[in-house]
Formats: sequence, structure tokens, C-alpha cells
Amino acid sequence: MREASGDECLEFKWGKKRIVGGKKKDVQFYESFTFDGDEYSLYDSVLVGDANEPDSHELFVAKIIKIWEHTNKRAKNPRQVKLLWFFRPSEISPRLLEGVQDVLAKELFLASGEGPGLANVNPLEAICGKCSVVCISKDKRNPQPTDEEIESADFVFRRVFDVGSSRVLDTIDDKIAGVDVMFLFNRAGSKQEATNVQKVQEDINVNPDSLKLNSLPACVSVPETEDNSIESSDLRESSYSREEGKEKGHSKLAEERSNKDSSVQESTVHLKDHDVCEASGSRGNHCDGNKAQEREVTKQFTKLKSLPAEERYSNTCEDSDSRVNHSSSEKPQANDVKNPLAKQKSMLAAAGERYSKESSGFDDRPQKKRKLDGSDGKGDTGSFKRPRDISSDGKRGSEAFKRPKDKETGDEVPPEKPSLVKEKRDLGVSVSEGRDAKTAKKPSFDGRLLKRAEELADDYERGYQVIEVKQKPDAVNSKWFRPLPWEESMREAEKEERLVLLQNLDPTYTSDEVQNIVYSALNEQSTARMIERTSVTISHTGEALVIFNSRQSAERAIKRLDKGCLLLSSGRPLVAVFAKINPPGKLSSFYGHTKLQKTQMRREARDAVSTSRGSQPNTLEYAMAMEWCLHRARSDHAFQMAIKRQLEVKKSLRVNFKAKLP
Amino acid sequence: MANPEEEEGEEEKYESFLSRVRRTVYVDELTPHASKSVVESAFSQFGTVKEVIFLPNYLGPKELPTGVLIEMESEQKAKAVIETVSQPVRASAARPAMFSDRPKKPGRRIQFRWVDPSDDEFDKAQRVKRLVRKHTAEAAFMIKKQLEEAEELAKQQSETVTTHHKKFEMIDKLTYDGVAQELAGRYNMKCGPPHR
Repeated sequence: MREASGDECLEFKWGKKRIVGGKKKDVQFYESFTFDGDEYSLYDSVLVGDANEPDSHELFVAKIIKIWEHTNKRAKNPRQVKLLWFFRPSEISPRLLEGVQDVLAKELFLASGEGPGLANVNPLEAICGKCSVVCISKDKRNPQPTDEEIESADFVFRRVFDVGSSRVLDTIDDKIAGVDVMFLFNRAGSKQEATNVQKVQEDINVNPDSLKLNSLPACVSVPETEDNSIESSDLRESSYSREEGKEKGHSKLAEERSNKDSSVQESTVHLKDHDVCEASGSRGNHCDGNKAQEREVTKQFTKLKSLPAEERYSNTCEDSDSRVNHSSSEKPQANDVKNPLAKQKSMLAAAGERYSKESSGFDDRPQKKRKLDGSDGKGDTGSFKRPRDISSDGKRGSEAFKRPKDKETGDEVPPEKPSLVKEKRDLGVSVSEGRDAKTAKKPSFDGRLLKRAEELADDYERGYQVIEVKQKPDAVNSKWFRPLPWEESMREAEKEERLVLLQNLDPTYTSDEVQNIVYSALNEQSTARMIERTSVTISHTGEALVIFNSRQSAERAIKRLDKGCLLLSSGRPLVAVFAKINPPGKLSSFYGHTKLQKTQMRREARDAVSTSRGSQPNTLEYAMAMEWCLHRARSDHAFQMAIKRQLEVKKSLRVNFKAKLP
Repeated sequence: MANPEEEEGEEEKYESFLSRVRRTVYVDELTPHASKSVVESAFSQFGTVKEVIFLPNYLGPKELPTGVLIEMESEQKAKAVIETVSQPVRASAARPAMFSDRPKKPGRRIQFRWVDPSDDEFDKAQRVKRLVRKHTAEAAFMIKKQLEEAEELAKQQSETVTTHHKKFEMIDKLTYDGVAQELAGRYNMKCGPPHR
């Protein structure tokens, strides 16, 4: 199975070795190591997360004063560091700070003396990142830093805080925590990396993520390296998702640490479950029904940048799936159900499924189509048929799709064969989730995702079969473009030739009205979406995309509208054709953005998104921009003229709505 | 069909929708590469951005630039955006027809009837229908043409840029190498010192 060690995915490399020590000579000391892309050496300043408060953003600053690894396999945390703490002014009680002059904004106090709070041994993985702490003490042993260095440093320190006497002292002894203070001052000649704390903060957001989620293996066909690089670039963009990811990651980190399980096992478990959840998620139902809710859901998830990121989220949500799995199962070995959470989870799961469904690309489509032919459709408004499949009975194939509105519940179907138990539970889950999803009001995901993460570390059902769900790395349906739920159904419908373009509507109609029209005039259930009138669409007429429930009904409708004339009160006869829509995916290029190579950037590249201040008339860019303006003005004008003409023609042909009495 | 209370509710909804419309800016000519957060941050310099809706392009040609609806805090903010946003994106006031999820106009009832073939109007109606199709085709054609022109222009411009850049590069190189100084000396002209 997966023998993956917990951080095989977070690159780690030892640096220079030092002595071997320990009672049994089983401890190897080191001078440096590389962890997750950063190189750390002895006496570097690092940021450490708080294990007790996984969700907090507060990080402690410390200096590494010892690095080692237990070479005997039995050690719980083989790699450890001893960290000498810095105290933030906020960490010191105010009365102890009385009389302490001039505490600077980024000043820290180095711990000294003896007692608790001086230094701690921590697993190496507790380190969240590097930071730069410059010593500005006027002590003659301290190489004085330049002003620049002080400016660019994350923190500064010049005084110590004696943990024994709980006082801030100005003078520094010769040794602190057994370390010669020469090592604690600025190192002559060696520059400390002035990594922006901000960046580190974000890195921190990233790292726990990767720590946790990178342990998701290839079963999601996500290249790991991609993860890392994408994450760091991700940082600015999807702030919302970062928030979640970070906090989630924190909690998971904490969990991992606090659990004292070897990280191996932990991640193995996680891995397994992700696999499984993937399976359950992808085979799960589609939460249809409550359109608004779905929109809300996907709005939250829309525009996540990379596929791996999406995997991550779908996986987390699917994790929650598995939890619900447990909770809703009837099996005795199911874990405790936290009922109030079940609903939340279901909503999440709904999102997760929605998500995983999307991210699983169009893999599922061909299968669905096959099944669709066989199944009988229920003509609900807004429900899209999904084949009903009860794999728990082993009747049909292993792909299980369940309609949320199905009366039959997986729950009630008794688990017959143990090997299919898992699948059944999945179904049971999907149904109940679907139901909940359907009935739930707009779910809000901000807090929920975090909570989910925390529960994850608890025991999972280990007996799960791991099903490899190969995600199709959909290059087209990729980074930027997350389809909205309506859109998904629309494309479905197009494939099955149920999608009709209704034209010559009044542009002020709404989607609902269109649906009503279709219903009353053609006696067909449908869902519709008005197409927005923009600068590139004809403004005097409206169009809508209508999804019918079956090809026949779509054909019927078109025929009727063609042969006969359905007049609306605005005097417009409706026109209908089978709609052909653009395949999904984003363009690789865009006219007007000349790609300048790096070397060509002598001036600021023109970015269409950033609202640029008026460029000066004497630059090349200005001239080019003017050309574009001209071009655009011309096109607009031409377009408008054409439309005006059309309007006139139409007016002359206006049909009387009121029938002339015979 | 709708009782007065419903009507009122509708009115309210519509009113609030209208105010939303007034607060929203329609931004055109956006690159398809722009993501929601980029747009948000770009426009947040004018004020808080409440919502960003991308207008999907289902029917138009693929190369069509994206349109976005950006809802700002207030009408003034929206106006400010419209006035200050400069090329190449375009900003204008949003119109109700741009929202696909709008509430319907209160008090409107749509009626329909099937026209009898024997009716005089039938012919007319058929002609209208054909006309509609013709119009759609026309519009599509125009847009296609526009895009083609845009492509042309883009190509042209990129060429210009590249040649200009090459020129600059060359000049740079010469000054750096000191060649320019030599030449200047020979022709008794002034030339700046080679810069690093």
C-alpha cells in the first residue's frame, strides 16, 4: 500500500554533519538542513507555529541552537531541533515591561537565564519558515548592522528577557542556553536572508497545506512538484481559499504533531481516506435541485487557480464525506456521529461532490450518458436525470450515481456483502447528503471547512478499499475556468441535444419568465437562462438558452415554434433552434496583449487588468493604445449602426398581437 | 394572477435590483486570463468591490473579450470607476439586461397566442422569424470581422514593438560597449558616457 513517510513530499535534506552523540551513539547532530525549499542553518531565526492553537496566526520566533536526528528507528520524532525563543513584547506581561524604554515596533527580546520558556526541543517539522532577526545591540561583540539591514529585517532585538527573574535586561551574558553569545549576535559577513515576514506568513499558509495535502498521492494524478510551485504563486490570488487552507493546514499540523502517531501512519491513513473519499465523492450524486444553493457553493469555489488546489479542496470535502460516511452508516463500527455537524458536513459534502464532480472532468460523462438511456426520467422541473444505481446490491456496475431526490435510500438497503459495504456506505452518504444538500439553505462555508479539517485526524475506517480514481488532468477545463452549475447542465444538455436557443424574446424578460412561457405555451418543463445583453450582443432582442428534459421535447418545441407562430405580447414571434455553445476552457491568447519577452520589458508592461493611469503621450505604448482605441471605436460604431438598421427593419414588420377578429 | 402583496414584494425586489444595477459597472474588453481575484483587487482601488460576476460567453466566438460586472458599494463609486477606468478595458454603467438572474419587472404579465396559419399575420410572423435569424447571422459576422481586425492590429503592433525593442537594444549595446563614443568622437558629436 502506501508506505509513504509523512513528509516524503516536503523535501527534506540534511546539510552538514557534525558530531555523533547520545548515550548510545545514535544521535547525529547537524549544522544545516533543507526543508521545504528553505535552507536552515544553526543559529538561524525561524518561525514556529503554535501547537496548542492551531488556528492562530500567531507565530513564535526562535533561534535554532541545535539540530539532530535520532538514528534509531523507534524514535517518535526522529528529527528535532532545539529552539531558543524570542519574546514578543506582547508575550510579556505589561507590568514586567514597565520601565523598559523604547520598545520598538518590531523588537523582540531574546530569552536568557534559566527556567521554563528559555528553549524547547521541537520536532523539526514544527518550523514554519525563516525570518530575519537583526541584533541592534550596541554591545561591542555585536557586528553592527547597516540601516538597510535594520529596515529590511523582520525583527530586531537588543535586549534579553531573563526567564528566571522575569526581567528585561540590557546586558547580555556570555552564554545563553549553553550557547556562546557570539553565535547569537549578528554574524559577521554572513547576511541573513531578509525574507519578508509577510511572505513567510504566506509560506506558512502554504506549508501546512502541503504538509497535509501533499500526502495525497498520485491517485489524484496531481504532480507534487506542481503543488509546491503553484502554491507559492497562488498566494496572492485566492485569498479566500488560502485562508481556509492555512487554517485547515494548521489544525492538521497540530493534529499530526499532537497525536504522537508516527507521521507515517497518519499520512497513510489520510492517504487511504482521500482515495476512498475521492471515490465516494466522484461517484456521488449531483446536488441539483436547489440551484441557488449550488450557485452559492460554486461561487465560493469559483476561480480557484490550479487543479491541484481544487483537488485539495475536493479532497478535504471528501474527507468530510468519509466522516459522514461513518456517521450515517448503520454499521456498528461506525464512529460517533456528531449530528449537528452532519448537516454541515453534508452541505460541505455537497460542495465537495459538486467540486469533485467538476474536477473529475468529463470522465464521468460518457458513463452517465450510457446509463441515461436506460433509465427512466422523472420530469421534474430543474432536475436532471441521473441514472439510479444501487451498487450496494451489487446489481449494477461499480459506478454509482444517486439522485438526491430518490426515495430509496442507501441507508435502508441492508448491507449485504461486506466487500460492498464501503460502496453502500458511500451511497448512503450521498443520498443523505444529497437530501440534506437539497433541503439545506445556502450553506456558508467559511467556518465549516476549518472544522472539518480538525475532525479529520481522528480514526478513519481502516478497512476501506482503496479505489484509484484517476482524475483526468483536464488541460482545457483548467486553471481559471470553473463551470457554474447551470453551465454544467447546459453542456450536458447540449451534448444530448436538449439545448435550445430561443430568440426574439423581449430583452427584459427574465429566465423565470422564459421558463413559464415554455411551460404554458409548449407544455414543457425546462430551465432557462437569459443571455446577458452586452456590448457584443444585439440589444433590442433577447435570447435565452433553454434546457429541455429530453431530446424529443426539445425537438417538439422547435418544430412547433417553427411551423406555427408563437406570438408573445410584445408582438414577437419566438424563434427556436438547437443551440450550439462554445466548448469550455480559456483561451491561450488574447488579441491586444502583445507578449513581451522578459528582456523586452524596458517599460512597464501594459496590463489590461490594472487600470493604468493615463500613459504619457510620448511613449510607444501610448501610440499603440491609441490605435486600439481607434479600432475599437470603429468596431463599436459599425456594430451599432448595423443594429439600428436591424431595428428599423423589424419595426416595419411588426406583427399585431391582437388577433383580428375573423 | 399575482395578488397585491406579491406585487409589492415584486416591486421591492425589483427596486433593490435596480439599485444594484446602478451600483454595478460593466467592464468590457477584459482579457480572458483575468481571474476574479485579480479583477477584484484591481478595482478595489476605487472602493470596496462587493461582487464580481463574469459574464459567460456561450454563443459568441471564442476570442471574444470577457465582460465583467463589478458591483461597487455605491452609485458614486460606480460612477467614479466608469470615469477613471482607462484603456484598454472599458467601463460603463450596467444595464438590467446584463444580469441574467434578475427579478422580473413587477406587474408584468406575458401573454401569448398561437397564430393561426390562416391568419393574415401568419405570414408576417414567419417573415419576422426569418429576419431574426438573419439578424443573428449578421451580428455574428460583424463580431467575427471585428475580431479579425483586432488580430491584425495585434500582430502589427507586436511587430512594431519588437522592432522598436531591437533598436533600443542595439543602441544600448553600442553605448555600453563604447562604440557610440568612438563614433561620436569621430564625427565631433556629443555622446553620453557608457552607463552600466
